[in-house]
Amino acid sequence: MTINSDQKHTPMATLALVFVAIIWISPFSWLFVNAVDTQATGELRWPQSIGIGNFVSAMSGSAAQQFMNSMILALGTATMTIVVAAGAAYFLSRVYIPGKTTILWALVVMRMMPTNGVLVPIYFTAEKSGLLNPLGVMIALTILNLPFTLLLLKNFFDTVPLELEEAAHVEGASLWEILRHVVLPLSRAGIAVVWFFSFTSAWNEFLFPLIFSRTDSVFPMSMGLYSAFGEHGAIQYGFLAAYSIVYAIPAIGVYFLLRRNMNTGFAGVGVKG
Amino acid sequence: MRKKINPWLAGNIPLLVAVALPAALFLSVLVYFAGWAITFSFTDLETIGRKSVNWDWVGLKNYIRLFTRQGFLQSLWVTVIFTFFSAVIGQTIIGFLLAVALRGKRGLLKTTVEVSIMLGWLLPDIVAAFLWSASASQTGLINRVIIEPLGFAPINFMNDYALVVVIIANTWKGSAWSYLLFSAALDAVPKEIIEAAKVDGTTPIQRLWKVVIPMIRPHIATNMLFITIWTFTYFPLIYALTGGGPGNDTNVLAIFLYQTSFDVHRLGYGSAISVAMLLIVGALSIFYLRLLKEPK
Amino acid sequence: MKKPTVLALLPSLALAGSLMPSVAMADVSIMYPEFITALVKPGIEAYEANTGIKVNAVKMPTVGYEQRVAVDLAAGTAPDIVVMDSFMVAELASANYLHPLDAQLKGWDQYKYYIKSLLSVASYDDKVYALPTDTDVRMLWYDKSVMKKAGIALPWSPKSWDDVLAASEKIKAQGVPYSFVLPAGTKRAEATTMQGVYMALLGADTPKDDRNRLRNRKEGKWIGDSPALRRTLELYRQVYVEKQLTPASINYETNVDAFVRTAITKHQVGILASGSWEFSCIWDCNGVNLPSVEERNAVLGWAPWPGMGRADTLKTTNISGGWTIGMAQSAKDKKEAFKLLTTIFDHGNFSEWTVAEHRMGVRTDITESPEYTQDAYLAKATKLAENTTSRDTFPGYNVVTQLIQQATGNILDGMSVDDAITEYKESLIDEFGEDQVIVYK
Repeated sequence: MTINSDQKHTPMATLALVFVAIIWISPFSWLFVNAVDTQATGELRWPQSIGIGNFVSAMSGSAAQQFMNSMILALGTATMTIVVAAGAAYFLSRVYIPGKTTILWALVVMRMMPTNGVLVPIYFTAEKSGLLNPLGVMIALTILNLPFTLLLLKNFFDTVPLELEEAAHVEGASLWEILRHVVLPLSRAGIAVVWFFSFTSAWNEFLFPLIFSRTDSVFPMSMGLYSAFGEHGAIQYGFLAAYSIVYAIPAIGVYFLLRRNMNTGFAGVGVKG
Repeated sequence: MRKKINPWLAGNIPLLVAVALPAALFLSVLVYFAGWAITFSFTDLETIGRKSVNWDWVGLKNYIRLFTRQGFLQSLWVTVIFTFFSAVIGQTIIGFLLAVALRGKRGLLKTTVEVSIMLGWLLPDIVAAFLWSASASQTGLINRVIIEPLGFAPINFMNDYALVVVIIANTWKGSAWSYLLFSAALDAVPKEIIEAAKVDGTTPIQRLWKVVIPMIRPHIATNMLFITIWTFTYFPLIYALTGGGPGNDTNVLAIFLYQTSFDVHRLGYGSAISVAMLLIVGALSIFYLRLLKEPK
Repeated sequence: MKKPTVLALLPSLALAGSLMPSVAMADVSIMYPEFITALVKPGIEAYEANTGIKVNAVKMPTVGYEQRVAVDLAAGTAPDIVVMDSFMVAELASANYLHPLDAQLKGWDQYKYYIKSLLSVASYDDKVYALPTDTDVRMLWYDKSVMKKAGIALPWSPKSWDDVLAASEKIKAQGVPYSFVLPAGTKRAEATTMQGVYMALLGADTPKDDRNRLRNRKEGKWIGDSPALRRTLELYRQVYVEKQLTPASINYETNVDAFVRTAITKHQVGILASGSWEFSCIWDCNGVNLPSVEERNAVLGWAPWPGMGRADTLKTTNISGGWTIGMAQSAKDKKEAFKLLTTIFDHGNFSEWTVAEHRMGVRTDITESPEYTQDAYLAKATKLAENTTSRDTFPGYNVVTQLIQQATGNILDGMSVDDAITEYKESLIDEFGEDQVIVYK
């Protein structure tokens, strides 16, 4: 362990890092051997007969539909979260309101109430507003994301130098132009991080789709996975493993897409009291 | 924060308010939800049956039961252990060490390590539960690769060390977040300061301890704050992995709350548990925020 | 930030439109858990073909199904027709969430075949709120090859709890990891109460004054403490703590039922406390790729649960549950909803499912049919049903059942029987009040 700016690792450090990577990846072995084994039994063993049959069934029929539903849900939630939060975060960042930090923190603390504890009022509210559907799940998740998102985005906007905005204003830019050409490009990494958070959390969500879905045509993959348990029948481990892999890929893909923003984005996560 | 409003905003106040409105609306809904839970924590409301319609006010009874009945205190203890070891110790230390080791590096090794730990984080909770249930089983990876080659009889980890398995699984799953946060923080530490410390003849450990850590202190506090509150109310991984068992070994508060509200259907009591959790987490946050402010 | 937002906005805007149709409700709707598909789905298809009305069907994962039913009915958002475990019916009916069916049933020519005593599990205040899909009996399943290995004579017929424990110990000595699987703890939910606690409890004391139950039905009070309750919890302590016949973790596996059934196919289970459905469910509840009856008989046998073995206790015990299908109070078109219900339960569809899945029939037109009577397994199981009883499905049962599950979980945790009983009794008093709870010395 060393703090310096050398580009090379010592052999010991390299070895240790390789070891960490192996430890981290090794649990996946179970997933892969079962996914490619057409006669998978859920045991950790060399595949008896290798084939892609499991993946084919994990990507067709209702599985394909569930994939699309998850995609809609995650993209919708992430985007709604950003759209709703960005305006308010800019407002909070630039307009003086007495005690606003305290209010913001109070909201964050309030959000710490466990989701299970507010499930029933959320459900009743959704029912009364006719939102027992995927749109309702998106709104519910956005509401629950909001305090954290607001806090993070406000911090990002705080780091955008006012001087730049001022300069643009002097040159005759409207507020909209300032936002588009100055503020958003400069906080792009932060927005990417927040978007990514919302995307993955919505992608993983099980509870809200479980109680909000009125028809199985809107089930997302998280519910498909529970159904694949086949609680009262035999589990098809091969299908389950392949389905899990298919389920995990989009979140990983999005990570790679946004990866270069992560470092810059996270630098702003630092909380100011 | 300037008290005077910036000139490019002054003419656009209605617009600013308009873009902030949806969030204000959403937040008021959130306040309503919390208010609902607090209100009904003083009732005997149930999900189904007669008391779902004809509930009564019961005063502080639900709160008194938190302490006089079995369940809450035991779950609180399990939650504290789970949070302390998996988040405060596991995720923070591993995330930090990896961030230090990979700082300023490029290339295949860094990408590999980064992606490996990210995989754990990105994996849906239910899939992660499967992986760990399979890995810790008697014919699973840990027994096959470590225990049996060493000549021991296979261990049923889920029976004998369920809490340990759950803690390891959550460390495995969550370290990426701390890593990302810390590596961003470390990158923000100016090289010159470290170089200067080097010239002064300090050892790497001293540089880390005396120079770097004080500089990223706000990030450490932020990290602690976020992962503590997330882990404290974390539900899906443990619920899928052990359902709180064996016995009550891994029955964290989030599961206890779920069981009370939706298995026993006692919503009033469940709400009291939520409110108690909220108070605990709120107190922890204030503690961390104090930590954050101190140096000023 | 442009990239992610543009990437995200386009599809979500385009898709916002496509979300709307899912909101539109069909004329009739139904919700059911995955395991009962083989009964419900053909019924829905027949209804759609007959009437031309589209049925909005929601097939749910079995995990979380009970919670979903409760929340749905409470909020008035339940589908018109709901499949539910019989123990929920009284509770839901008492809150007026279900629609009584008596008036409509009178006009249905097949209603007369229902065995009246079996309708009680789906009734409340003398009104029928749902129709049972099947009834069941509970027994001790055992793996024949494992029994042979342990030197136990077949067919095995234990006469007392001691016989069961002794056999389990012999099995354990052969290195079989799960020698006696007795459902315990909250994750097993109703399985703990029905397949475990109640089966033992019924044989743990004399039936006089309901001393062997969770509730004194005559006085209408819950039993907070009794010798039978203590003996039952002591049995759990023997199995899981004292003799360690089975690791407690089996009750908390990620998917318990699948784990147990997989273990059975690997001959890792000696004795399994479960029910009549296992004759198909150990392989597949929906009857896919079911081995032949002979193949199944070669692997597994079953014996009735013995009483504990005292002179005044029952020789064998049994309790029946089963699932039901009912109508939500919120159903808009109750006539069509009822038609869907009766189409599912139409003789052809219902009897085919009952026989194929070896379910225990609830209607005489099925139980007296040749296919049913010729089924050796069903004939034997039906005999067991002669002196069965049913759960105490009075309002409040949902709390009692959870508390008794917690009590077994506490035993697994190493709590003493004394403490577990005290905890149980006090929680009952919290819920129902001192005057609603009695104690037997």
